[in-house]
Amino acid sequence: MDVALSTLLSPIILFFALGMVAALLRSQMSVPEAIAKGMAIYLMMAIGLKGGVEMSKNPLTTDVLLVLLAGIILSFLIPIIAFVFLRLSTKLDRVDAAATAAHYGSISIVTFVAATEAVRLSGLDSSGHLVAVAALMETPAIITALFLASRGGGSRSQPVAGSEQGELVREVFLNASIVVLVGALAIGWIAGEEGTASVQPFFVDLFQGVLCLFLLDMGLSAGRGLRQGWRQLSFATVGFGIYMPLISSLIAAGFAFALGMPAGDAALLITLTASASYIAVPAAMRLALPEAKPSIYLTLSLGVTFPFNVTIGIPIYIYLALLITGQG
Amino acid sequence: MEKHLRIELIIERMAHKRACRVLETAGMTGYTVLPAMAGYGNSKRWNRDTDLSASGDMVVIISIGDEEKVRPVMDEIGNLLGAHIGVVTVTEVEVLRPNRF
Repeated sequence: MDVALSTLLSPIILFFALGMVAALLRSQMSVPEAIAKGMAIYLMMAIGLKGGVEMSKNPLTTDVLLVLLAGIILSFLIPIIAFVFLRLSTKLDRVDAAATAAHYGSISIVTFVAATEAVRLSGLDSSGHLVAVAALMETPAIITALFLASRGGGSRSQPVAGSEQGELVREVFLNASIVVLVGALAIGWIAGEEGTASVQPFFVDLFQGVLCLFLLDMGLSAGRGLRQGWRQLSFATVGFGIYMPLISSLIAAGFAFALGMPAGDAALLITLTASASYIAVPAAMRLALPEAKPSIYLTLSLGVTFPFNVTIGIPIYIYLALLITGQG
Repeated sequence: MEKHLRIELIIERMAHKRACRVLETAGMTGYTVLPAMAGYGNSKRWNRDTDLSASGDMVVIISIGDEEKVRPVMDEIGNLLGAHIGVVTVTEVEVLRPNRF
Protein backbone atom coordinates (compact mmCIF):
# COMPACT_ATOMS: atom_id res chain seq x y z
CA MET A 1 0.00 0.00 0.00
CA ASP A 2 2.87 2.35 0.87
CA VAL A 3 4.57 1.49 -2.42
CA ALA A 4 1.39 2.26 -4.37
CA LEU A 5 0.83 5.52 -2.53
CA SER A 6 4.44 6.76 -2.83
CA THR A 7 4.41 5.94 -6.56
CA LEU A 8 1.04 7.59 -7.21
CA LEU A 9 1.97 10.71 -5.26
CA SER A 10 5.46 11.12 -6.74
CA PRO A 11 5.92 14.34 -8.77
CA ILE A 12 6.50 12.44 -12.04
CA ILE A 13 3.14 10.65 -11.82
CA LEU A 14 1.35 13.79 -10.66
CA PHE A 15 2.78 15.72 -13.62
CA PHE A 16 1.69 12.92 -15.93
CA ALA A 17 -1.83 13.11 -14.45
CA LEU A 18 -1.80 16.90 -14.87
CA GLY A 19 -0.94 16.54 -18.57
CA MET A 20 -3.56 13.86 -19.14
CA VAL A 21 -6.32 15.82 -17.37
CA ALA A 22 -5.33 19.01 -19.24
CA ALA A 23 -5.54 17.20 -22.59
CA LEU A 24 -8.87 15.57 -21.76
CA LEU A 25 -10.24 19.00 -20.76
CA ARG A 26 -9.00 20.32 -24.14
CA SER A 27 -6.38 22.65 -22.69
CA GLN A 28 -4.21 24.37 -25.29
CA MET A 29 -1.06 23.68 -23.23
CA SER A 30 1.69 21.96 -25.19
CA VAL A 31 5.40 21.23 -24.98
CA PRO A 32 7.19 22.22 -28.21
CA GLU A 33 7.75 19.13 -30.38
CA ALA A 34 11.53 19.60 -30.69
CA ILE A 35 11.90 19.92 -26.90
CA ALA A 36 9.85 16.74 -26.33
CA LYS A 37 12.05 14.81 -28.78
CA GLY A 38 15.20 16.28 -27.20
CA MET A 39 14.01 15.22 -23.75
CA ALA A 40 13.31 11.68 -24.98
CA ILE A 41 16.90 11.43 -26.24
CA TYR A 42 18.22 12.93 -22.97
CA LEU A 43 16.29 10.41 -20.85
CA MET A 44 17.46 7.46 -22.96
CA MET A 45 21.06 8.72 -22.75
CA ALA A 46 20.80 9.18 -18.97
CA ILE A 47 19.27 5.76 -18.33
CA GLY A 48 21.70 4.07 -20.75
CA LEU A 49 24.71 5.77 -19.20
CA LYS A 50 23.60 4.90 -15.67
CA GLY A 51 23.04 1.27 -16.67
CA GLY A 52 26.45 1.10 -18.36
CA VAL A 53 28.22 2.51 -15.30
CA GLU A 54 26.43 -0.01 -13.04
CA MET A 55 27.38 -2.85 -15.41
CA SER A 56 31.04 -1.75 -15.40
CA LYS A 57 31.16 -2.37 -11.63
CA ASN A 58 30.30 -6.06 -11.95
CA PRO A 59 31.53 -8.82 -14.28
CA LEU A 60 29.17 -10.24 -16.87
CA THR A 61 27.98 -13.44 -15.13
CA THR A 62 25.87 -16.34 -16.39
CA ASP A 63 22.99 -15.00 -14.27
CA VAL A 64 23.10 -11.70 -16.14
CA LEU A 65 23.23 -13.47 -19.51
CA LEU A 66 20.21 -15.57 -18.51
CA VAL A 67 18.23 -12.42 -17.66
CA LEU A 68 19.15 -10.96 -21.07
CA LEU A 69 18.02 -14.20 -22.73
CA ALA A 70 14.78 -14.16 -20.70
CA GLY A 71 14.06 -10.66 -22.01
CA ILE A 72 14.51 -11.79 -25.62
CA ILE A 73 12.32 -14.88 -25.11
CA LEU A 74 9.57 -12.77 -23.47
CA SER A 75 9.62 -10.29 -26.32
CA PHE A 76 9.24 -13.11 -28.88
CA LEU A 77 6.58 -14.88 -26.82
CA ILE A 78 4.24 -12.11 -25.57
CA PRO A 79 3.00 -11.07 -29.06
CA ILE A 80 1.81 -14.64 -29.71
CA ILE A 81 -0.26 -14.60 -26.49
CA ALA A 82 -1.49 -11.06 -27.20
CA PHE A 83 -2.43 -12.07 -30.76
CA VAL A 84 -4.46 -15.06 -29.55
CA PHE A 85 -6.34 -12.90 -27.00
CA LEU A 86 -7.00 -10.19 -29.59
CA ARG A 87 -8.34 -12.67 -32.13
CA LEU A 88 -10.53 -14.39 -29.55
CA SER A 89 -11.86 -11.36 -27.70
CA THR A 90 -11.99 -8.57 -30.31
CA LYS A 91 -13.09 -8.23 -33.91
CA LEU A 92 -9.65 -7.12 -35.11
CA ASP A 93 -8.50 -8.78 -38.33
CA ARG A 94 -5.21 -10.69 -38.56
CA VAL A 95 -3.06 -7.71 -39.62
CA ASP A 96 -4.47 -5.30 -37.01
CA ALA A 97 -4.18 -7.98 -34.31
CA ALA A 98 -0.56 -8.78 -35.30
CA ALA A 99 0.44 -5.08 -35.38
CA THR A 100 -1.21 -4.48 -31.98
CA ALA A 101 0.41 -7.61 -30.54
CA ALA A 102 3.85 -6.31 -31.59
CA HIS A 103 3.35 -3.23 -29.39
CA TYR A 104 2.66 -5.44 -26.36
CA GLY A 105 5.73 -7.63 -26.91
CA SER A 106 8.01 -4.63 -27.26
CA ILE A 107 8.66 -2.18 -24.43
CA SER A 108 8.03 1.40 -23.37
CA ILE A 109 11.24 3.04 -22.22
CA VAL A 110 9.31 5.83 -20.43
CA THR A 111 7.37 3.25 -18.39
CA PHE A 112 10.74 1.65 -17.60
CA VAL A 113 12.17 4.99 -16.45
CA ALA A 114 9.09 5.66 -14.29
CA ALA A 115 9.39 2.13 -12.83
CA THR A 116 13.09 2.69 -12.07
CA GLU A 117 12.11 5.75 -10.02
CA ALA A 118 9.29 3.86 -8.30
CA VAL A 119 11.68 1.00 -7.46
CA ARG A 120 14.13 3.52 -6.00
CA LEU A 121 11.36 5.19 -3.98
CA SER A 122 10.40 1.74 -2.63
CA GLY A 123 13.91 1.36 -1.23
CA LEU A 124 14.83 -1.46 -3.63
CA ASP A 125 18.06 -1.73 -5.64
CA SER A 126 18.11 -2.47 -9.36
CA SER A 127 20.95 -3.59 -11.62
CA GLY A 128 22.31 -1.75 -14.64
CA HIS A 129 21.93 -4.70 -16.98
CA LEU A 130 18.14 -4.22 -16.98
CA VAL A 131 18.79 -1.32 -19.38
CA ALA A 132 20.42 -3.82 -21.76
CA VAL A 133 17.37 -6.07 -21.32
CA ALA A 134 15.17 -3.09 -22.29
CA ALA A 135 17.18 -2.54 -25.48
CA LEU A 136 17.08 -6.25 -26.36
CA MET A 137 13.30 -6.40 -25.86
CA GLU A 138 12.57 -3.62 -28.37
CA THR A 139 12.67 -5.63 -31.60
CA PRO A 140 11.97 -9.40 -31.30
CA ALA A 141 8.24 -8.63 -30.96
CA ILE A 142 8.24 -6.96 -34.39
CA ILE A 143 9.63 -10.13 -35.98
CA THR A 144 6.96 -12.27 -34.27
CA ALA A 145 4.24 -9.87 -35.43
CA LEU A 146 5.42 -9.99 -39.06
CA PHE A 147 5.37 -13.79 -38.88
CA LEU A 148 1.84 -13.77 -37.39
CA ALA A 149 0.57 -11.36 -40.05
CA SER A 150 2.12 -13.28 -42.95
CA ARG A 151 0.90 -16.73 -41.81
CA GLY A 152 -2.65 -16.11 -42.92
CA GLY A 153 -1.64 -14.20 -46.02
CA GLY A 154 -2.81 -11.03 -44.28
CA SER A 155 0.10 -8.86 -45.32
CA ARG A 156 0.77 -7.91 -48.95
CA SER A 157 3.09 -10.17 -50.93
CA GLN A 158 4.19 -7.51 -53.47
CA PRO A 159 6.49 -4.74 -52.27
CA VAL A 160 4.98 -1.24 -52.09
CA ALA A 161 6.16 1.21 -54.77
CA GLY A 162 9.33 3.04 -53.73
CA SER A 163 10.32 0.40 -51.17
CA GLU A 164 14.04 -0.08 -50.73
CA GLN A 165 15.86 -3.19 -49.61
CA GLY A 166 16.96 -2.85 -46.00
CA GLU A 167 14.69 0.07 -45.05
CA LEU A 168 12.68 -2.03 -42.60
CA VAL A 169 15.81 -3.61 -41.10
CA ARG A 170 17.23 -0.09 -40.58
CA GLU A 171 14.01 1.08 -38.94
CA VAL A 172 13.78 -1.98 -36.70
CA PHE A 173 17.41 -2.33 -35.60
CA LEU A 174 18.71 1.23 -35.93
CA ASN A 175 15.81 3.31 -34.64
CA ALA A 176 16.66 6.21 -32.33
CA SER A 177 15.69 4.36 -29.13
CA ILE A 178 18.05 1.46 -29.78
CA VAL A 179 20.96 3.56 -31.06
CA VAL A 180 20.83 5.99 -28.11
CA LEU A 181 20.11 3.37 -25.44
CA VAL A 182 22.70 0.83 -26.58
CA GLY A 183 25.22 3.57 -27.43
CA ALA A 184 24.90 5.26 -24.01
CA LEU A 185 25.02 1.87 -22.28
CA ALA A 186 28.28 1.02 -24.09
CA ILE A 187 29.75 4.46 -23.31
CA GLY A 188 28.84 4.10 -19.60
CA TRP A 189 30.33 0.61 -19.56
CA ILE A 190 33.56 1.70 -21.25
CA ALA A 191 34.04 4.95 -19.31
CA GLY A 192 32.92 3.60 -15.91
CA GLU A 193 32.03 5.69 -12.85
CA GLU A 194 35.26 7.70 -12.88
CA GLY A 195 35.10 8.46 -16.58
CA THR A 196 31.50 9.68 -16.46
CA ALA A 197 31.94 11.78 -13.28
CA SER A 198 32.23 15.01 -15.29
CA VAL A 199 28.83 14.50 -16.99
CA GLN A 200 27.04 13.40 -13.79
CA PRO A 201 25.64 16.91 -13.03
CA PHE A 202 23.89 16.91 -16.41
CA PHE A 203 22.69 13.32 -16.51
CA VAL A 204 22.00 12.65 -12.82
CA ASP A 205 21.17 15.95 -11.07
CA LEU A 206 18.83 17.21 -13.79
CA PHE A 207 17.22 13.82 -14.45
CA GLN A 208 14.25 14.13 -12.08
CA GLY A 209 13.26 17.58 -13.32
CA VAL A 210 13.48 16.62 -16.99
CA LEU A 211 11.50 13.45 -16.27
CA CYS A 212 8.70 15.56 -14.70
CA LEU A 213 8.56 17.79 -17.78
CA PHE A 214 8.66 14.79 -20.11
CA LEU A 215 5.89 13.00 -18.22
CA LEU A 216 3.79 16.16 -18.41
CA ASP A 217 4.20 16.02 -22.20
CA MET A 218 3.47 12.28 -22.23
CA GLY A 219 0.29 12.96 -20.25
CA LEU A 220 -0.73 15.51 -22.87
CA SER A 221 0.07 13.06 -25.70
CA ALA A 222 -1.77 10.17 -24.03
CA GLY A 223 -4.80 12.35 -23.24
CA ARG A 224 -5.00 13.81 -26.76
CA GLY A 225 -4.45 10.38 -28.33
CA LEU A 226 -7.26 8.94 -26.25
CA ARG A 227 -9.59 11.88 -26.89
CA GLN A 228 -9.04 11.72 -30.64
CA GLY A 229 -8.94 7.95 -31.05
CA TRP A 230 -11.28 6.41 -28.50
CA ARG A 231 -14.11 6.05 -31.03
CA GLN A 232 -11.95 3.59 -32.98
CA LEU A 233 -11.71 1.25 -29.99
CA SER A 234 -14.36 -1.24 -28.96
CA PHE A 235 -15.01 -2.07 -25.30
CA ALA A 236 -13.24 -5.42 -25.78
CA THR A 237 -10.16 -3.72 -27.29
CA VAL A 238 -9.93 -1.23 -24.41
CA GLY A 239 -10.27 -4.18 -22.00
CA PHE A 240 -7.34 -5.87 -23.76
CA GLY A 241 -5.21 -2.74 -23.15
CA ILE A 242 -5.72 -3.24 -19.43
CA TYR A 243 -5.72 -7.00 -18.92
CA MET A 244 -2.87 -7.81 -21.33
CA PRO A 245 -0.21 -5.99 -19.23
CA LEU A 246 -1.40 -7.96 -16.22
CA ILE A 247 -1.11 -11.27 -18.11
CA SER A 248 2.36 -10.27 -19.33
CA SER A 249 3.38 -9.30 -15.80
CA LEU A 250 2.41 -12.74 -14.46
CA ILE A 251 4.44 -14.50 -17.18
CA ALA A 252 7.45 -12.25 -16.49
CA ALA A 253 7.05 -12.85 -12.76
CA GLY A 254 7.34 -16.60 -13.50
CA PHE A 255 10.59 -16.00 -15.40
CA ALA A 256 11.95 -13.73 -12.62
CA PHE A 257 11.06 -16.35 -9.99
CA ALA A 258 12.72 -19.16 -11.99
CA LEU A 259 15.88 -17.05 -12.38
CA GLY A 260 15.93 -16.07 -8.69
CA MET A 261 16.12 -12.38 -9.50
CA PRO A 262 16.27 -9.82 -6.67
CA ALA A 263 13.06 -7.82 -6.08
CA GLY A 264 14.19 -4.56 -7.75
CA ASP A 265 15.39 -6.33 -10.90
CA ALA A 266 12.29 -8.54 -10.98
CA ALA A 267 10.04 -5.46 -10.73
CA LEU A 268 11.81 -3.90 -13.72
CA LEU A 269 11.68 -7.08 -15.84
CA ILE A 270 7.96 -7.42 -15.03
CA THR A 271 7.36 -3.75 -15.93
CA LEU A 272 9.28 -4.07 -19.21
CA THR A 273 7.24 -7.13 -20.19
CA ALA A 274 3.96 -5.48 -19.19
CA SER A 275 4.70 -2.23 -21.02
CA ALA A 276 3.68 -1.50 -24.59
CA SER A 277 5.72 0.37 -27.18
CA TYR A 278 4.49 3.62 -28.71
CA ILE A 279 7.71 4.93 -30.28
CA ALA A 280 9.74 2.23 -32.05
CA VAL A 281 7.00 -0.24 -33.01
CA PRO A 282 4.44 2.20 -34.52
CA ALA A 283 7.14 3.52 -36.83
CA ALA A 284 8.20 0.00 -37.87
CA MET A 285 4.57 -1.05 -38.39
CA ARG A 286 3.92 1.85 -40.78
CA LEU A 287 6.65 0.42 -43.03
CA ALA A 288 6.12 -3.30 -42.49
CA LEU A 289 2.33 -3.54 -42.12
CA PRO A 290 0.93 -0.30 -43.57
CA GLU A 291 -2.52 -1.91 -43.85
CA ALA A 292 -2.77 -2.07 -40.05
CA LYS A 293 -4.69 0.84 -38.50
CA PRO A 294 -2.52 3.12 -36.33
CA SER A 295 -5.69 4.55 -34.75
CA ILE A 296 -6.16 1.18 -33.05
CA TYR A 297 -2.66 0.17 -31.95
CA LEU A 298 -1.36 3.63 -31.10
CA THR A 299 -4.47 4.74 -29.19
CA LEU A 300 -4.44 1.47 -27.28
CA SER A 301 -0.75 1.49 -26.29
CA LEU A 302 -0.41 5.24 -25.68
CA GLY A 303 -3.92 6.17 -24.54
CA VAL A 304 -4.88 3.11 -22.50
CA THR A 305 -1.95 0.88 -21.52
CA PHE A 306 0.65 3.59 -20.86
CA PRO A 307 -1.53 5.56 -18.37
CA PHE A 308 -2.64 2.30 -16.75
CA ASN A 309 0.95 1.10 -16.30
CA VAL A 310 2.32 4.41 -15.03
CA THR A 311 -0.41 4.94 -12.43
CA ILE A 312 -1.76 1.53 -11.37
CA GLY A 313 0.46 -1.05 -13.08
CA ILE A 314 3.87 -0.16 -11.63
CA PRO A 315 2.81 -0.49 -7.96
CA ILE A 316 1.22 -3.86 -8.85
CA TYR A 317 4.42 -5.02 -10.59
CA ILE A 318 6.57 -3.96 -7.62
CA TYR A 319 4.21 -5.81 -5.27
CA LEU A 320 4.38 -8.88 -7.53
CA ALA A 321 8.20 -8.72 -7.43
CA LEU A 322 8.13 -8.48 -3.62
CA LEU A 323 5.74 -11.43 -3.52
CA ILE A 324 7.90 -13.77 -5.64
CA THR A 325 11.01 -12.86 -3.66
CA GLY A 326 9.26 -13.58 -0.36
CA GLN A 327 9.17 -9.94 0.76
CA GLY A 328 5.50 -9.26 0.06
CA MET B 1 4.64 30.56 -70.07
CA GLU B 2 4.29 26.84 -70.60
CA LYS B 3 1.77 24.41 -69.10
CA HIS B 4 3.01 21.62 -66.82
CA LEU B 5 1.46 19.28 -64.24
CA ARG B 6 1.84 19.81 -60.48
CA ILE B 7 1.59 16.76 -58.21
CA GLU B 8 0.52 17.43 -54.64
CA LEU B 9 0.81 14.38 -52.46
CA ILE B 10 -0.22 14.37 -48.79
CA ILE B 11 1.22 11.19 -47.30
CA GLU B 12 2.17 9.74 -43.93
CA ARG B 13 5.70 10.77 -42.94
CA MET B 14 6.93 7.17 -42.60
CA ALA B 15 6.22 6.54 -46.29
CA HIS B 16 7.51 9.83 -47.68
CA LYS B 17 10.91 8.42 -48.60
CA ARG B 18 9.14 5.79 -50.70
CA ALA B 19 7.23 8.53 -52.51
CA CYS B 20 10.44 10.50 -53.05
CA ARG B 21 12.13 7.42 -54.55
CA VAL B 22 9.19 7.02 -56.94
CA LEU B 23 9.60 10.63 -58.09
CA GLU B 24 13.37 10.33 -58.47
CA THR B 25 13.14 7.02 -60.36
CA ALA B 26 10.61 8.53 -62.76
CA GLY B 27 13.05 11.32 -63.60
CA MET B 28 11.21 14.22 -61.97
CA THR B 29 13.76 17.01 -61.74
CA GLY B 30 12.77 18.12 -58.25
CA TYR B 31 10.31 17.99 -55.38
CA THR B 32 9.73 19.74 -52.05
CA VAL B 33 8.61 18.09 -48.82
CA LEU B 34 6.63 20.21 -46.33
CA PRO B 35 5.49 19.20 -42.82
CA ALA B 36 1.74 19.11 -42.16
CA MET B 37 0.60 20.46 -38.78
CA ALA B 38 -2.82 18.90 -38.24
CA GLY B 39 -5.82 17.55 -40.09
CA TYR B 40 -8.95 15.48 -40.18
CA GLY B 41 -9.64 12.26 -42.03
CA ASN B 42 -11.29 8.87 -41.62
CA SER B 43 -13.53 10.33 -38.85
CA LYS B 44 -10.50 11.26 -36.79
CA ARG B 45 -8.61 14.48 -36.06
CA TRP B 46 -4.85 14.24 -35.92
CA ASN B 47 -2.03 16.62 -35.07
CA ARG B 48 1.69 16.49 -34.56
CA ASP B 49 1.41 16.72 -30.75
CA THR B 50 -0.14 13.33 -30.06
CA ASP B 51 2.54 10.95 -31.18
CA LEU B 52 6.15 10.93 -29.97
CA SER B 53 7.13 8.33 -32.56
CA ALA B 54 6.01 10.82 -35.25
CA SER B 55 4.73 7.78 -37.13
CA GLY B 56 1.34 9.45 -37.42
CA ASP B 57 2.72 12.68 -38.87
CA MET B 58 1.84 13.67 -42.41
CA VAL B 59 3.91 15.53 -45.00
CA VAL B 60 3.07 17.27 -48.26
CA ILE B 61 5.21 16.56 -51.32
CA ILE B 62 5.03 18.95 -54.26
CA SER B 63 6.60 18.20 -57.62
CA ILE B 64 6.17 19.68 -61.11
CA GLY B 65 6.87 18.01 -64.43
CA ASP B 66 5.59 17.55 -67.95
CA GLU B 67 2.76 15.12 -68.67
CA GLU B 68 5.11 12.48 -70.10
CA LYS B 69 6.84 12.12 -66.74
CA VAL B 70 3.86 12.73 -64.45
CA ARG B 71 1.45 10.09 -65.84
CA PRO B 72 3.71 7.06 -65.07
CA VAL B 73 4.44 8.57 -61.64
CA MET B 74 0.72 8.56 -60.86
CA ASP B 75 0.51 4.78 -61.41
CA GLU B 76 3.29 4.22 -58.90
CA ILE B 77 1.80 6.70 -56.44
CA GLY B 78 -1.50 4.83 -56.79
CA ASN B 79 0.29 1.65 -55.74
CA LEU B 80 1.87 3.49 -52.79
CA LEU B 81 -1.46 4.88 -51.63
CA GLY B 82 -2.96 1.40 -51.84
CA ALA B 83 -0.92 0.65 -48.72
CA HIS B 84 -0.24 3.99 -47.06
CA ILE B 85 -2.44 6.81 -45.78
CA GLY B 86 -2.53 9.73 -48.20
CA VAL B 87 -4.22 11.79 -50.90
CA VAL B 88 -2.84 12.86 -54.28
CA THR B 89 -3.99 15.53 -56.71
CA VAL B 90 -2.66 16.69 -60.07
CA THR B 91 -3.32 20.19 -61.36
CA GLU B 92 -2.30 22.06 -64.48
CA VAL B 93 0.05 24.93 -63.74
CA GLU B 94 1.96 27.51 -65.77
CA VAL B 95 5.70 27.65 -65.27
CA LEU B 96 8.08 30.51 -66.01
CA ARG B 97 11.18 28.47 -66.85
CA PRO B 98 10.04 25.21 -68.54
CA ASN B 99 13.60 24.04 -69.16
CA ARG B 100 13.97 23.47 -65.39
CA PHE B 101 11.32 20.72 -65.40
